[in-house]
Amino acid sequence: METIQNILSGLFLLGGVFFFATATLGLLRFPDFFTRLHATGKGDTLAVTLCLIGLAIHEGMNLTSVKILMIAVFMFLAQPTSTHAISRAGVRCGLEIWRKKEKEG
Amino acid sequence: MEKFFLAVALGICFLVLLVLYRVVFGPGVFNRVAAISAVGTKTLIILLIVGFLYRRVDMFVDISIVYALLNFIGCIAVAKYLEMEQ
Amino acid sequence: MIHRGEDVIIRTIARMLIPFIQLYALYVIMHGHYSPGGGFQGGVILGASLVLLLLTYGYHDARSRISEKIMIIFSSLGVLIYAGIGFLCLLLLGNFLDYSMLSRILHVDAAHARSLGILGVEIGVGFAVMAVMVSIFLDISTGGVLPGDEEEKEKQVPVSEV
Repeated sequence: METIQNILSGLFLLGGVFFFATATLGLLRFPDFFTRLHATGKGDTLAVTLCLIGLAIHEGMNLTSVKILMIAVFMFLAQPTSTHAISRAGVRCGLEIWRKKEKEG
Repeated sequence: MEKFFLAVALGICFLVLLVLYRVVFGPGVFNRVAAISAVGTKTLIILLIVGFLYRRVDMFVDISIVYALLNFIGCIAVAKYLEMEQ
Repeated sequence: MIHRGEDVIIRTIARMLIPFIQLYALYVIMHGHYSPGGGFQGGVILGASLVLLLLTYGYHDARSRISEKIMIIFSSLGVLIYAGIGFLCLLLLGNFLDYSMLSRILHVDAAHARSLGILGVEIGVGFAVMAVMVSIFLDISTGGVLPGDEEEKEKQVPVSEV
């Protein structure tokens, strides 16, 4: 039973780290502020949820794992809201939107 | 199992160092705010894994809940301030 | 920072989350003796939840719940609880904040009386810290002049004109 717990939590953690890595890659390489918000807002939320579920499985049926799942629910609700708030501020301040340059020839 | 957790924590620390590039060089304040929010999210996971390594998870869970709360409230406060400046 | 906006999403999420944040702050105050926390940390989280309410709803709409007068009452109440428990121990022929003397009123043994005394003191500290956090936020973000004060000044009749 403990081996299955370890393997499952390891799989969830690896998935979380993979999505963290792709979100960071997007944050560094995307051309515009709004596209970078896409990367960090969605990728980070999914990665945090997967990591926290993995850590909760490793603990077993405990009060601590219920608290960890509560953090996961809170992050699932709160992080898209803060992304929305900062993107609304960006639109109202008039940041310019990146458009794809047309190739000549 | 502990070595696996240590490797995951070091990997996420490396990702935090990569995001710090966007904090320093991001043109304008908006990029910096988004990057700081991302750093806060990764710090939360590092805190919990450190709690596992010390075998005292129930102490570190309370701290990480508070950090998630303050990250959220801080991001909204900065967004409201930048919106009002217009 | 305290101005009206029409953001429905942030208002809905804040309205859903604020009671749970306050419940968690109460948990942090109560469990100060066992897990990280205590009076000051719980007071900061309570103050942060009220700051979130002020940020998302603006001062005009949130004034019925968080006004300057209520915050003054709460901060004084917190200090009164703290000093009151200390003086109560003095009146019962002990030192200042000597909680074991409370066992004469409460009819428990000395260890339980000390635990209850510390709990009461932490609650007082939590009230005071919450009120001061909200008060500092209101002062810094409006520059000292709340939006309601200007209307009251216009209503005042000038005293005398020579």
